[in-house]
Amino acid sequence: MKDDTTIRQSTDPFLLEVLKNAFDTIAEEITLTIIRTAYSQIVRDSLDFSTALCDAEGRTLAQGVCTPMHLGSFHDALLNMVREIGDDIHEDDYYIMNDPYAAAGQHLPDIYVVKPVFVEGKLKGWSTTLAHHSDVGGIVAGSNALGATEIWQEGLRLPVLKLVDKGKRNETLWKIIGLNVRTPDLVYGDLQAQMAACATGAKGMQKLYHRYGEDVIDQAIEDLNDYTRRLAEAEISDIPNGVYRFTDHIDGIGDDPEPIILNVAVTVEDNRIIVDWDGSSAQIEGGVNSTFPFTKACAYAALRSVMRADIPNCHGFTDTVEVLAPEGTVVRPVSPGPCGARGITGYRMIDCLFGALSQAVPDRVTADGSGGSTLPTISGVSNGKPYIFCETAMGTWGAGAANDGQEGVPHIGANQSNVPVEMIEAAYPLRIERYGFVTDSGGPGKHRGGLAIERNYQVLSDIALLNVRSDKRAYPPHGLFGGDDGAPSMNVLVSDEGERVLPVLLSEPVRMNKNDVFRHQMPSGGGYGNAYERDPEDVLNDVILGKVSVDGAKRDYKVVIVSTDDGYAVDTIKTAEIRAA
Amino acid sequence: MEWRAGTDIGGTFTDIAYIDHEGFLFTEKVPSTPENYGRGVVEGLEGLAEKQALDLSELREMAHGCTVATNAILEGKGAKTALLTTAGFRDVLELRRIRVPRLYEPLYVKPSPLAPRNLRFEISERVGADGSVVTPLNEDDVVAAADEIRKSGAEAVAVCFLHSYRYPDHERRAGEILRALLPDLFITLSIDVLPQIREYERTSTTVINAYVGPPVRRYVEGMVGDLKKSGMNADIAIMQSSGGTVGAGSVLEKPAQIIECGPAAGVVGAAYLCEQLGIDSAITFDMGGTTAKGSLIESNQMIYAENYEVGASMSTAGTIAGGAGYALNLPVIDISEVGAGGGSIVRIDRAGAIKIGPESAGAVPGPACYGAGGTKPTVTDANVVIGFLNQEGLAGGSVPIDASLSTRAIEEVVAKPLNLDPVKAAYGVHEVANATMVRALKAVTTYRGRDPRDFAIIAFGGNGGVHGAGMARSLEVKRVIVPAAAGVFSAVGLLVAKRSVTVVGAFAATVKTLDEGAVAPVRETLEDQAAGLLNVVKDDVDFEYALDMRYVGQAFELSIPVPDQGISSDTASQLREAFEDEHERRFGHRFDDGNDVEVVALKVTATARTGAAPARLRANKKTSAPVTRNVYFGENFGFRETPVIGRGDLSDEPRQGPFIVEEYEGTTVVPPDATAHLDQLDNIVIDLEYA
Repeated sequence: MKDDTTIRQSTDPFLLEVLKNAFDTIAEEITLTIIRTAYSQIVRDSLDFSTALCDAEGRTLAQGVCTPMHLGSFHDALLNMVREIGDDIHEDDYYIMNDPYAAAGQHLPDIYVVKPVFVEGKLKGWSTTLAHHSDVGGIVAGSNALGATEIWQEGLRLPVLKLVDKGKRNETLWKIIGLNVRTPDLVYGDLQAQMAACATGAKGMQKLYHRYGEDVIDQAIEDLNDYTRRLAEAEISDIPNGVYRFTDHIDGIGDDPEPIILNVAVTVEDNRIIVDWDGSSAQIEGGVNSTFPFTKACAYAALRSVMRADIPNCHGFTDTVEVLAPEGTVVRPVSPGPCGARGITGYRMIDCLFGALSQAVPDRVTADGSGGSTLPTISGVSNGKPYIFCETAMGTWGAGAANDGQEGVPHIGANQSNVPVEMIEAAYPLRIERYGFVTDSGGPGKHRGGLAIERNYQVLSDIALLNVRSDKRAYPPHGLFGGDDGAPSMNVLVSDEGERVLPVLLSEPVRMNKNDVFRHQMPSGGGYGNAYERDPEDVLNDVILGKVSVDGAKRDYKVVIVSTDDGYAVDTIKTAEIRAA
Repeated sequence: MEWRAGTDIGGTFTDIAYIDHEGFLFTEKVPSTPENYGRGVVEGLEGLAEKQALDLSELREMAHGCTVATNAILEGKGAKTALLTTAGFRDVLELRRIRVPRLYEPLYVKPSPLAPRNLRFEISERVGADGSVVTPLNEDDVVAAADEIRKSGAEAVAVCFLHSYRYPDHERRAGEILRALLPDLFITLSIDVLPQIREYERTSTTVINAYVGPPVRRYVEGMVGDLKKSGMNADIAIMQSSGGTVGAGSVLEKPAQIIECGPAAGVVGAAYLCEQLGIDSAITFDMGGTTAKGSLIESNQMIYAENYEVGASMSTAGTIAGGAGYALNLPVIDISEVGAGGGSIVRIDRAGAIKIGPESAGAVPGPACYGAGGTKPTVTDANVVIGFLNQEGLAGGSVPIDASLSTRAIEEVVAKPLNLDPVKAAYGVHEVANATMVRALKAVTTYRGRDPRDFAIIAFGGNGGVHGAGMARSLEVKRVIVPAAAGVFSAVGLLVAKRSVTVVGAFAATVKTLDEGAVAPVRETLEDQAAGLLNVVKDDVDFEYALDMRYVGQAFELSIPVPDQGISSDTASQLREAFEDEHERRFGHRFDDGNDVEVVALKVTATARTGAAPARLRANKKTSAPVTRNVYFGENFGFRETPVIGRGDLSDEPRQGPFIVEEYEGTTVVPPDATAHLDQLDNIVIDLEYA
């Protein structure tokens, strides 16, 4: 047993930096193994997964950089897991779980696969992965039904189980999984990818222990957490003390939606932050409930985003943040609350936190943006074969203290990609009619919000079903410090019978016929600062680029733009006149 | 006597290399002259010619590596560029692939599009995914756009229509109209640059080609003129990012091909060494002043980047997510890069961790020891303090330094705050630099599923030999090879590169329906095109073929070499097998037989047989008077009185470390737990001992 002085003696700072790099590299290797070996598009191309290297107690040492809103999402699950399995842990075990209630998980499609790391017979850590699977059964393909009313409708629930027991596959479990999902090949393939990734991470950690020895690594783990906590604390102490409140909404589900309220109070107390969701809506009979581990992860991601230092993604960071939420709410549902489509609530929690943080650190957040992927899904039958098309459509940001809103960017919570138009058209009976910006849609401000993006889908098969979960029509993206709100989202079905406006969040799919067009305009970004203070030259530049019209310049910015022989120019006299009026 | 030279332009220095008829290598280093790079090149060549008694008028070929295309993009100084797109899609270039390279950054700002929105014109036309015309080309739209473009003063125009790789006629016709109406402009079509599916990548690549076209043309024409003025009529061959050189005339057709050619030349040099030494695989480690770069040579092949982006240095998330630069889907040697080099600045963050780079002291003021006003410690300063670098002068003594300034900077910024002895602090900095740079090497090995222990490291660049052994140690690599002229190795790579181009043609078929008849016309067109680019008759060209293949429905392709027997219904199953093997190697699995495999493109690589690579390379090695200095090798070894020698003092007999080899082009450190010898090419070969 070591005495206290040795334990306190901290790792040489050079070695600590070397080892921090080594932990990060192992987490990256776990990540890249999944990318290389996964079967499904959602894992491989949308990067909807996360990886981490954890110590024996389940504290994260390093996390792969995949999905920001999974930050810190391993600790609760591992704590619960270790409690469940007790001492029955062996070198060649792999564990699996997904249940948000029985296994402290996220939502059912997110399946954890984790492997213990043993060094000379001692449990030293966990090599962990979490991947969004293409399907886990339930009432809709993809297992993220907005209309589910209880978790049993959402698919296969897995408590903490052994996927592999001392090197032997649990065939019973594999068979049960295979029979309960719509895409067994993809699910099996992705589970194997997760196992391969866990093995990579375990090997990396063992190597590190062999090279530097047990005492050095054990000590470095403590010191890394300590360093991270101190760095985060230093960042937090730069934020003025206070209680910062914000309320945001999800429009609600279906034809006559009832708004879902998200209410947050962020308390900054010297070097700690408390995030309290008291006052948010009661849990919903619909799949948007965010289980508490996910609610915590979203808070970590939002707070991490306003810190300037390059804070390691390790447990020490989460030590500085406390997240509170009353049980039975949309941000901390109790069983059997459905949560398959909780992603939208995650995006909105981050938006809401940025709203609160704008009062504390006005120059480190932007006005509100388009709010995360809208997941347009079109399914049907073409030449006798069924097809399901689904993509992560994003996105635009609100303006900030120094810049206009960025256009063509993902939500800060999930770094996902679009699908090339040519790939869609080559693979599905669909034609994209337009993909581009909507003029005059950006929230006006001293800095302008990013323009709304329109993506229009024409169906070329006989019949199709459309699903989509956009938002922010009743509650458009907020502006900041006098900046105007962004433009709301708009979904329109164009058919022979004319144009029909669709609800923001469909509770059930809408039928489309051949040649019908789904016109999908995502929300834009909010403005930052008073639009009438925008530099007329910036307005002119927007007019030249076609992002603002001549009429819009006058209406939204009080800037008079005139056509000249070689383009446009600001009429400075008239502009001064109407701005003074 | 006719002779050839390699000239490599860097930000600070222009490196010249020359190999005489016996294979001896001579080098020259002169300051770069950014206002007109030709002047520096001419001065360097004149210096070399004088020293080696060469006649400038007999310079037959200058193999050249330059930064003009890369810099045009990095500095935003390319041509004013217009773009024609299918109606409804002018924003594809600006929307990109959505994903961003940095997480947790709400204030991230995207790179601006290289063709501004007001110069992106939507043309009424539409082709379906199967190549059928949905909406015919509206030629009036093209004429109207040409009119606007003329008025705008744009110098270059790119054209990229949806699905043009399946039906090129609309792009071709638009090109004809533009060329007729705008004869002085640089006009480039996506089907001539990258006839492949995925509209953003194709548009971006074509726009880059347009954007760098005019500056590259001015540069090449200026260089030819500068050489002529000084009595040189040499052919200029320019390195491409694919690792082959091509004549200046062909560069002007596809200028995007020469982006990142300097780093590529170093890897080409390493591949040449491998061939000469009879080893088939190696990791390259190129450490300069601001970055460390890694690449891989495997089975005598260089590796190529998928999803390459210009201007995107490696960041943790960027490696995975992409989006930091401008997509360029042309053959580019995969070189990973970390922003840490000799000039990288060392600092301590607010919670006490040591950080290196990416800020660099640059050439001015440079490391603290230059005494040019720099007070921040750099990696080079740390290497001076521990004695890895000469404490009186760098570059073989030609750049005098003041070591006390290094010590002071390390003391102030690192040692005092951590309450450490400056030498120990400096050694710590050296090790953290290794830990930072090792990612560049892991990115091309472990991240690709390769075990670095199976490879030797070829270390070059100004600091490659100083850190090579340490890098090897962190990866458990057993052997490090430090070539002659390691500090100007890209210039050497230029001299040994082959004249070679790769051209790609869209070609759609399933493996089942693949046959010679369908492939032949596409292949012949591509062969003619490639031979034309090389400016060599077809008989003097070696062709290699590869097919881009994927499982039907998959979103990415793998390039599979075509077997020697060519393509036929007989070899189709062989190709499928090769594809599935590669798929399994890269992704860990193959699909069941039910999955069709399809071909989407044919790639033809043409290499001129009239190669100029010398049969053998030898160092012009020097010996040194016996001196020693006190060098710190870390806690295990402490201070050691270490011999400082010349390359000529080594032989093929292994010599036990520690010792240091100092040369004009760089320093090589052999630690106490290693030996080193010279191989048949006069490379320093360091063998590390492992317990």
